[in-house]
Amino acid sequence: METIFDLRDVSYTYIRRFEALKNVTLSFKAGEQTAILGANGSGKSTLLSILNALTYPTSGEFSAFGAPIKEEVFDTLEDNEFARFFRKKVGFLFQNPDIQLFSSTVFDEIAFGPLQLDLPPDEVQKRTEEVIAMLGIENLRDRAPHMLSGGEKKKVCIASILSTNPDVLLLDEPTGGLDPRSQMWLIGIIQDLAKAGKTIITATHDLDIVEQISTRAIVVGEDHTIHVDCDCASVMSNLDLLMAANLIHRHMHRHGKLLHEHLHAHSKEHDHVHGSSVNE
Amino acid sequence: MFIIPDFPLGEVPLDLNRNVSSMIPEWMQKIEVGPCACCTASIGKKKGFVQKAISDIFTFFEECLVNDSIARRKGLLQSLDPRVKLVSMVVLIFAVAMTHDIRLLAIVYGLTLVFAYLSKVEIVFFLKRVWVFIPIFAGIIMIPILFNVFTPGDALVTIANLGPNAHLGPFALPPVITITVQGTMLALTFVLRVATCVSSAVLLFLTTPRDLLFKSLRSLKVPKVYVLTMDMCYRYIFLFADTVRAFYTAKKSRSIKSLPMIEEQKWVGNRVGYTLIKALNMSEKVHGAMISRGFNGDIKILQRYSIHHRDYVACVSVFALSIFLILVSQNLVKI
Repeated sequence: METIFDLRDVSYTYIRRFEALKNVTLSFKAGEQTAILGANGSGKSTLLSILNALTYPTSGEFSAFGAPIKEEVFDTLEDNEFARFFRKKVGFLFQNPDIQLFSSTVFDEIAFGPLQLDLPPDEVQKRTEEVIAMLGIENLRDRAPHMLSGGEKKKVCIASILSTNPDVLLLDEPTGGLDPRSQMWLIGIIQDLAKAGKTIITATHDLDIVEQISTRAIVVGEDHTIHVDCDCASVMSNLDLLMAANLIHRHMHRHGKLLHEHLHAHSKEHDHVHGSSVNE
Repeated sequence: MFIIPDFPLGEVPLDLNRNVSSMIPEWMQKIEVGPCACCTASIGKKKGFVQKAISDIFTFFEECLVNDSIARRKGLLQSLDPRVKLVSMVVLIFAVAMTHDIRLLAIVYGLTLVFAYLSKVEIVFFLKRVWVFIPIFAGIIMIPILFNVFTPGDALVTIANLGPNAHLGPFALPPVITITVQGTMLALTFVLRVATCVSSAVLLFLTTPRDLLFKSLRSLKVPKVYVLTMDMCYRYIFLFADTVRAFYTAKKSRSIKSLPMIEEQKWVGNRVGYTLIKALNMSEKVHGAMISRGFNGDIKILQRYSIHHRDYVACVSVFALSIFLILVSQNLVKI
């Protein structure tokens, strides 16, 4: 498989003081589904931002689609063919929908990307309508973003990146703040996109969804370094690793007169099975 | 669902105080039960300035949402092309501003009411929307014009008899202060002119979705960058309004006693600064989101307009009416 992203010894420091990523060496291949796991503040979002060429490494090298990614390539007033190619290829789902939804209506939001591709107005209209129909959000078409619920906003965010048909999707905490039904809907969409051959890189600390949407898992520790990069099943069964990365914790609760402790993923529901019966 | 198999780290006898005593200080473990020993609930002063200002701002935003629902109704003006409505309104306001004939102004104002009705705008709501501002902005300005001090003429009501040689500082006053017929007509004409212009503008805002209204500014050759900026301002003002509301609600929920005015002012200043920092931070991220989707500084706006027969009819009618008003105002046509 073709390597699309390649990071060599990449570090990133905010305002020259706060380390967000340290000595990261990774590569991503086309068609892979990868989960980047880490606790809050570990640097997952920064890593996605670097992969989307919105932030540039403080040190180290990052290349995408075989070309080095440098600030001079993207942050220039002159039209740049590679920058256009990159933006067409890579879609980024932001963690906060209010950042992603900057247009005044849902239709305009979804049409924004195709308009930037210089498609003819009829084609933009057609594409936008088709994405709206695909995600079943016809009822939101003319609504303003501030009139949408959290789940609706997330649907529109997904639609807004799918309308440019990117091959690579970077998803930052996609299930954050979603109710169970919206989460299942989102997982279904991600699985469909994976089947269609899209490269999907998801930053999350929601362990419930990891094995459903990815085959590879990368764990970023609280020291901002990569702890593990291997298949999902191995990572998910390595409880010591997950606990060290602050992704699960010791959970204590009552069973009658006894306190019961076990390891627990802190996502939403306290859903787990008990191996031994406990006397009440 | 991610399920971790049971991984018992030991089962220990229940001791509810084990963690409580180690983490929570002693004073926090005291619980006061029973009703308030001091008093019954009393009714205090009315809302403070900050509270009133914030609740007024939110009333305005809620009204904006109501307005958006009016713009989606199937009425006469809603069915017209926004560009036609915008250009027609500008032309009509120009013509009305030149008109001095109170009868013509009354007719045009009457027409705005008819159009409001045909556009399924509740008339009482519409009248309130227009006339709330008229007394403030037009009425107060015109009060002096009513009197013979500024507009000499036939007396309508006598206010005061000052006698000969009355002065106000260096200014000589007439012996009798009256409200004049001419002054009243002048004031009425001015107020009606303002009411007609405001009614036209309010009708445009009420019957046009905000996004289409901003885009229609392109027909007046407003640069794209201003259209985009206005559009985004309108989108994010609601978000920041929610943030401000959250600040205030959080403060209210933790306010045990009222603070001196200076402390309230400090709090407001502090929150204004914080909101500004938050807005700057967000603007950077939004710019990132735009770049991520291919924005390179060249603004592209999708304009979805379709001109119908009725749009031409509306445009020609408004232009004809406006030309007629201008001709009358210039005495080129006598009525």
